[in-house]
Amino acid sequence: MTLDWWTFGFQTVNVLILVWLLSRFFFKPLAAMIAARRQAAAAMLAEADAARRKAVDAAAAIETTRAGFAGERAGILDEARTEAEALRQEILAKAKAEAAKTESDAEAAIAGRVDAQRRAFEEEAARLAVDIAAKLLGRIRAPALSGAFLDALVEAVAGLPESERRAIAANGAHFTAVSPAPLDAEERTRCRDRLAQVLGRAPALDFATDPGLIAGLELKGEHLTVANSWRADLDAVRAELARSKDR
Amino acid sequence: MKTPLSTEPLFTLGPVAISEPVVVTWALMALLTLGCLLLTRRLSLQPSGLQAALETVVEAIDGQIRDVMGAEPGPYRSFVGTLFVFILLANWSSLVPGVEPPTAHLETDAALAVLVFFAVIVFGIRANGVVGYLKSFAAPAIFMFPLNLVETVTRSLSLLVRLFGNVMSGVFVVGIVLSLAGLFVPIPLMALDLLTGAVQAYIFAVLAAVFIAGTVAEGRPHGAPSPEAS
Repeated sequence: MTLDWWTFGFQTVNVLILVWLLSRFFFKPLAAMIAARRQAAAAMLAEADAARRKAVDAAAAIETTRAGFAGERAGILDEARTEAEALRQEILAKAKAEAAKTESDAEAAIAGRVDAQRRAFEEEAARLAVDIAAKLLGRIRAPALSGAFLDALVEAVAGLPESERRAIAANGAHFTAVSPAPLDAEERTRCRDRLAQVLGRAPALDFATDPGLIAGLELKGEHLTVANSWRADLDAVRAELARSKDR
Repeated sequence: MKTPLSTEPLFTLGPVAISEPVVVTWALMALLTLGCLLLTRRLSLQPSGLQAALETVVEAIDGQIRDVMGAEPGPYRSFVGTLFVFILLANWSSLVPGVEPPTAHLETDAALAVLVFFAVIVFGIRANGVVGYLKSFAAPAIFMFPLNLVETVTRSLSLLVRLFGNVMSGVFVVGIVLSLAGLFVPIPLMALDLLTGAVQAYIFAVLAAVFIAGTVAEGRPHGAPSPEAS
């Protein structure tokens, strides 16, 4: 067994060269690729971890926002409750005031109605009183009463202003003497005579009846009426009563 | 019959005699380089099946270095990995008719053993410095210095003898059986040689890693972490 030194030397160099070649073209590229893949995987994992952390942070932020929403909701509810209470109080006060006003209006209306009714009753009572008086006085038919009313009429005419008395006595003026019952001829003559005495001449005078006068003698012309009857007196009384009630 | 015990020159280049193991080694180098160039041409982060297989080989080598040396495989991968790949291919080259594996010749195994011998020294000095490396011979006691020195040589010799003996004997046996029996009779023995060749490649590479790791670790204080591991 011999050792060929040339072969030994060649093989030594060959293996050294092969070590370099495989290192350059096999081990280093593959090891670099494995390392790059590990690095990429680590980067992806880090990225995924960062994304996960980001998601967790976002979830926490959402949770915080939700908590804020809850607080805000409670605040809004409190505010709404306060506002509703204030509104309720306001509406209640308004309703109370309105009710009081309605009540006072109703009271005033009732008082007005009662007052109106009372006036109506009083008027009715006055009318009834006058009617009763008229009926009672209507039963009194005496010549003395006619004479008294003729005197009163003459007195009233005499009390008229001069111009009115002239108007009554003027030519063409036409007056009617109204009595509750027809006057007989004597009474008519006396009436004409008495008026002629007061007016200076006899007026153109007709005679008429009106039972509504109850008692009395009135002189009615186109533009002038001389009231002289119980009806006129009772009407005056009733008007006076009404005026006194109003006052 | 050719004998692996002697190396005959195939041709000469002037005074230089070129033998068959050298030519076969060149062929293997060319094959490996070309193959590597073709296979690693289109590496990408999303590996193809072939790339995944190649990466599996590299990761298996890295895993073995980590397990045996207890260090990161980066500085040792090329040397240990090349030893394994070359010895494996050289052993299996006997399958090619008419080719005698280079590892069946003493010169190739001696070259590999010498390279391991020097690699141990280089890695030891790189890891611990010259003084640290020399101190490693005095561990665990100074009187161990000569013994450690002898061991450094003898363990390289053991590598040489183990590889040479196993491969050469396989070639011998196959040759003898082939000359005595027939064409197909040595096939089971050749199949056994495949296994033996793979095992021997693995043993040689692992022992080389063990020797380097031993030297690197001996220079460090007890319990200190491996510099490569950091």
